[in-house]
Amino acid sequence: MAAEVQPLATLKLPTVVSPITAEQRYWKSFKNQKSHTSTAAWPISHISFPGSSNGSAASHSLVAAAKANDLFAVTSGPRVDIFSIRKRELLKTIGRFDSEAHSGEIRADGRVLVAGESSGKMQVFDVGTGTRAVILKTWHVHKQPVWVTKWSPAELTTLMSASDDKTVRLWDLPSNAPSRMFSGHQDYVRSGAFMPDRNNLLVSGSYDSTVRVWDARAPGGSVLTFKHADPIEEVLPLPGGTTLLAATGSAISVLDLVAAKPLRLITNHQKTVTSLSLASNGRRVVSGSLDGHVKVFETTNWNVVSGSKYPSPILSLSVITAGAGHEDRHLAVGMQSGVLSLRTRLSGATAEKARARATEDALMVEGASSKLAKIDSAKAKRKRNAVSNKSMALLGENVDVIIPTDATNSSGGRKRRVKLKPWQRDFREGRYAACLDSVLDLSSPEYQPVTALSVLVALRHRSALREALEGRDEVTVLPLLKWVIKYISDPRYATVCVDVAFQLFDIYSEYVGGSTELADQFAVMTGKVSREVEKAQMAIITNGMVESLMIGGAEA
Amino acid sequence: MVELRTPRKTSKASKMDANGETASLKKRKREPKEETTASQKRQRSKPKTQPAANGTVDDAADSQESTLFEQTTNGDLELTDASNGLTTRDTSAWKVSNPMGGRMLDIDPIFSLDERYLLITYNTSIQVYSTEDSLLVRRITLPVTKLDSGAELSSPHIVASALSASAPDFLWVACSDGRIWHLNWTTGEGAETPFTIDVKKVLDMTVESVDIRDKQEDVLFVLQKFTKSSAQIVAYDLKALQKKTGKLIHTYDENPQLLRSAAGGRLIVAAAKETLHIGTLKSKGKTVKGVDDLEYAFHSFGVPDLVTCLDIRPTLQTTKKGGVEIQFVDLVIGCARGAIYVYGDLLSKLPGNATKAGPIQPRKLHWHRRAVHSVKWSEDGNYLISGGAETVLVLWQLDTGKREFLPHLSATIENIVVSPKGSSYALHLDDNSAMVLSTAEMKPTTYVSGIQSLVLSDKPSKESLVRRVWRSVDEISTPLITTSNPTNPSQLFLCVGNGQQASSTGNAPSTPLLQVFDVSSFQGVGKHPIARTNPTDANMTSQGAPIIEPRVTKMAFSHDGKWLASVDEWQPPERDLEPLLTGSKTTCEVSRERREIYLKFWEVEAEDNSLQLVSRINEAHFTTESETILDVVSDPISSRFASLGTDGVVRFWSPKLRRKDGLATTGPEGHQLRTWSCSRAVELPAYGQLEEAVEVSPKTPRSGALAFSEDGSVLFAAYGPSSGAVVAVIDTATGAIRDTIPNLSRGEIRGIEALSSSLIILSEDLTVYDIVSDEVQYSFALKETSEAAKQMTHLAVNSESRSFAVAAPIPNSSQEKLKKGAKSELVVFSVDEEVPQLIQTFPQVITAVLPSTNSAGFVAVDSAAQIWSITESGEQARMLQPLADLNMEESKALVAPVDLAIEDGEASDEEMHDADADVEMEDDDYDVHQAVVAPQKLAEIFNAAPAFAMAPIEDIFYQVAGLFSTRPSTI
Repeated sequence: MAAEVQPLATLKLPTVVSPITAEQRYWKSFKNQKSHTSTAAWPISHISFPGSSNGSAASHSLVAAAKANDLFAVTSGPRVDIFSIRKRELLKTIGRFDSEAHSGEIRADGRVLVAGESSGKMQVFDVGTGTRAVILKTWHVHKQPVWVTKWSPAELTTLMSASDDKTVRLWDLPSNAPSRMFSGHQDYVRSGAFMPDRNNLLVSGSYDSTVRVWDARAPGGSVLTFKHADPIEEVLPLPGGTTLLAATGSAISVLDLVAAKPLRLITNHQKTVTSLSLASNGRRVVSGSLDGHVKVFETTNWNVVSGSKYPSPILSLSVITAGAGHEDRHLAVGMQSGVLSLRTRLSGATAEKARARATEDALMVEGASSKLAKIDSAKAKRKRNAVSNKSMALLGENVDVIIPTDATNSSGGRKRRVKLKPWQRDFREGRYAACLDSVLDLSSPEYQPVTALSVLVALRHRSALREALEGRDEVTVLPLLKWVIKYISDPRYATVCVDVAFQLFDIYSEYVGGSTELADQFAVMTGKVSREVEKAQMAIITNGMVESLMIGGAEA
Repeated sequence: MVELRTPRKTSKASKMDANGETASLKKRKREPKEETTASQKRQRSKPKTQPAANGTVDDAADSQESTLFEQTTNGDLELTDASNGLTTRDTSAWKVSNPMGGRMLDIDPIFSLDERYLLITYNTSIQVYSTEDSLLVRRITLPVTKLDSGAELSSPHIVASALSASAPDFLWVACSDGRIWHLNWTTGEGAETPFTIDVKKVLDMTVESVDIRDKQEDVLFVLQKFTKSSAQIVAYDLKALQKKTGKLIHTYDENPQLLRSAAGGRLIVAAAKETLHIGTLKSKGKTVKGVDDLEYAFHSFGVPDLVTCLDIRPTLQTTKKGGVEIQFVDLVIGCARGAIYVYGDLLSKLPGNATKAGPIQPRKLHWHRRAVHSVKWSEDGNYLISGGAETVLVLWQLDTGKREFLPHLSATIENIVVSPKGSSYALHLDDNSAMVLSTAEMKPTTYVSGIQSLVLSDKPSKESLVRRVWRSVDEISTPLITTSNPTNPSQLFLCVGNGQQASSTGNAPSTPLLQVFDVSSFQGVGKHPIARTNPTDANMTSQGAPIIEPRVTKMAFSHDGKWLASVDEWQPPERDLEPLLTGSKTTCEVSRERREIYLKFWEVEAEDNSLQLVSRINEAHFTTESETILDVVSDPISSRFASLGTDGVVRFWSPKLRRKDGLATTGPEGHQLRTWSCSRAVELPAYGQLEEAVEVSPKTPRSGALAFSEDGSVLFAAYGPSSGAVVAVIDTATGAIRDTIPNLSRGEIRGIEALSSSLIILSEDLTVYDIVSDEVQYSFALKETSEAAKQMTHLAVNSESRSFAVAAPIPNSSQEKLKKGAKSELVVFSVDEEVPQLIQTFPQVITAVLPSTNSAGFVAVDSAAQIWSITESGEQARMLQPLADLNMEESKALVAPVDLAIEDGEASDEEMHDADADVEMEDDDYDVHQAVVAPQKLAEIFNAAPAFAMAPIEDIFYQVAGLFSTRPSTI
């Protein structure tokens, strides 16, 4: 019935090119960088974690297994390092390679790892137990370096490999020979993947600049071939299995497998794109390049939505997900310099805890003990409430209803009215001058220009602008003047600033003689306004010239 | 222009004068004569076999003459012929419904004795509402305004209504012109036969039940004007009313406005400005044989301020002889400057005999900032309840001086009534709503909300008793912006203010709210703020001036009802702008520069019809300053709007997916967000470019209007200075101007509409133009050209019946502005015929006309907040009818026990028991209201398809049964 008191609504200004988008904010929230330099600064050639390539196609047992997994593998030089996703720490290192290792991949259940080698060997290691990795299986069929080894997303015992011997092979774990060999590439095969949702399809990219799609059921060569201008460094099938990304030179091509045609060529990178990874449950693609840039693309129109620069050429990257929702957890980037950079995004309760810790730390540094005590007491109260509720729940076998000690509503949160901020209360209760002072305070941590603008506009709507500006002394009028001078050139603020300036001139011009400060500020304002006027005149002149040119062009 | 044409009024006009009419419908001719005659011949050949005008149309309409239009004759024989045909024309094709709604007057609502009904006095009716379910039980129309009395400056209005003290089924209603109705509100009888007393003006009236010859009889105390500066209280009983002569109780030499009485007429109190007059009945110890035996002793004393309201609380005691007498009297007055004065035990403070008492010291309670609109004693006398323009209900605990508040009600509190049992309060708010609050938890149990549009009120507001720094508007100068949602035909959307007083404070009424009004249930469904409004903040500046809120000037729904476009305008009041003057600018120009004109697009939520702001365009039309948006129309086939501004540009607006950095953004529920933007701008040709001879200064005010053709392929834009507007025909697909048609209008453009191949242009002329054959079909000149009339002329087109309606006010000849007493006329044309189908004079100014959705008629809203439905015969108006009219009212047996108890005190216990049993029996039917089935619901079922394509008979049976079967009560 009786309407609820609403705080003054802030104005919505026309949208200009926003300096930071929600997407950028999201990718900026990957912070807490942790760098790990590999032994002897070997370049990080591959980062992988189980489940990165499988969208939704995996069988149920595999999904369950992937959930339990806490490992990701980083291949650098002749070693594969196993890290913990949760702790971001190195757990163990597998160094039993004769030559440079490639493509260390952990299986979805987190038990075994496969890696290729420059010698052409492929080895399967047990990583689940013990500190030392036991070699479970060794194949030496490829005679050239094996660059790709990948587990099938659907079957635990199936894997594929691709090698510089121009072949792609399909393996069954128990057998000693490949179950299938695909040949057709004319040059080194440096990338490959299983197609999600289509278990029999494989895709590979080669230095002969082709991307080939293979079907395990179909005999003979590739079922589909895409020819590019540059060698293929990386292929990445998108979830759904109809679209494929291929890194070709400094470009990324988007290929449609159903229509069998290229959709688009993304040319945002300056140097060779070395790695691609899915993120945000397949709605974004992250690419890394030798130019040191990581770029994030959205997958409908392939616009760059965010990006960041790393100090060294990027050889490998992966967005490592965790948890049931496969939320993006780490952005792992491996570089030429041998540095593995791990950036982590906290979410949910962890993020809240981290924030609380940060404020406490900040207060501790500041030495604001009273605020600290307040936080402590609030925390203690929460704890007490929780304890008492729990003890009541224990008692509660012979009672029907337990009433919790704190007034929480049914949804769990405490229902409370929106508390007005001090300036909002000042505004509501008609202390307009005080309200204006607090929102125009440039040094205040809560200062936002749009709040100040909202208040000024609301004052104009309430015919109270003059009342708020009147009756000030030299000290209190100067912040107003400074604010006006700061914003008078912004077109969105100009009309209000002009009104305020007029009012200030009208009220305070007679005191200019007595106060040099005031006179100075007025002079500064006049200068700024006349500069703006000059700019406007220049713009009009330019516009006139352009128009006359246009007319001339139209006539000719 | 009028002067030019008056000499041309020929004998026809004088004939009309003899009829009591002021003018006649005159035809103007533009096209070569042959064309016109041809069309008229076609017309005359039409059969005229329909029966003559039936009784549904008022007398004024029966005379078949319009005061709106004037026909230029040119002495043409053919044309005279045509107008002869007009007089014999048959109008039964269209009929005007009884009006519904109205404005609640500043008269205390009345509870029935059992608190089951609330009787609310409206400006033209008494409406009885059930307090249980807020439903309208009965509407008793009172013929307050007589159509023939238009010449009087102050038209009659209801001044008081009171429940009969001795027969609670009856209601006394007094009208300012001396008519007094004695209504049975349970049956509605008595509205036609008022008593008339011979007075200059009735100011107030109270009713008391007085013991006359040992029988309780109603005695009316009427406060009436005597001379210019004096007034009288006259007492009447039924006999005296028939004789028209009452007993003069007292004559004042000043002008009291308020009269209250208490305790069976033992005490009457009249308030005049700063004086209170207390009259006590002289008990002579003998029985009163008639009103002539009533004798009063009068005292008067000064009070500190102007009295706006008062309440008496007498405490009675039984005398030794068995009679009753007043033990003591507590009196409370509310004043115009916000103070409340309490006079405890007043009678003992009055001197014994002197008629002029000295100043009596009251207790002062001051919280209200502005006038106290109502103050009442609670039932037990421990509390005072007061309210006013602060929209706060204040409860004063008298013993402790503590105050309790019920803040932020929707509008100024006008009246407060404590129910007979003291268990609830009835509030009447200025936004034409009334509610019943339970005293225990202050929650509304009944809510009645009418159309909140601006009305012409009879009495000045209580605020205006004191000189304020602002002046309220006393005229209606802008049309009511109304529209209906094409998908929900029963709902009207009206742009209204926060109440009559709050919205009439600026130069133009501020209307920041959109009231959704359901015509079928006749209840306000909801209110949405569509412009800036501060319901919970102070509504005054510190200087005492009201804060002006924006005014919605245009509104349109998209064809699918999913989008709403609205235009609102605000400009700072000139008093704020003194310091901003530079150079030779006037405050008016400075204010214009700072106008805020917003074009807003709202998404209408499908479930609850709530509005979500999607886009706000700050400067939709802009030159060096924001330009007025003259019109906004919606494309009849796609989600697109077109707007026309005074910059001479037509802009098309269409929605697109909202993108941010190339990404489509989604709302919290994952739905796609849209945004509206200008998809095309078409510059209209200026008048000067067409005719070089005429030089029009760019400062001249422009007028214009837009209309889409019915298939949405063409947009007609009429735009230009009043010296000559041009109609441009714009291809909506390409934006190219296909054609320009000059000389279709005269003066300001007031409206343009398209109906198949006809274009209807309303300016000072009404012109119907055929686009295909490129000729004027017919044209009339509007007679009324006053400034106010220009604003309030309406044009509405109904494509279903291929007809259009024109409404214009007829101001009083003595008035410049549209004030009380002005009338309106509405004329319905069929587009193919130049003969009006219906001419109807309305007793109030029509503020809006719109076609009713999905039916062939029109809906009109007038300045008394009433809704009229104009329908083609055979069609049922989709309007609520009171329960009584639907025979849905509860059985008489329910009311019977109360009657018995009061009228026949000796009714035996057995009889009482029987009556109670009846009540028990009827209890099952208590909630029969849910089975109200409007005729149109049945029509929807049976007219859904032609007979051969109807649903199986079983389905129809279940549909009908579903309508009539009572659902389980949820109350």
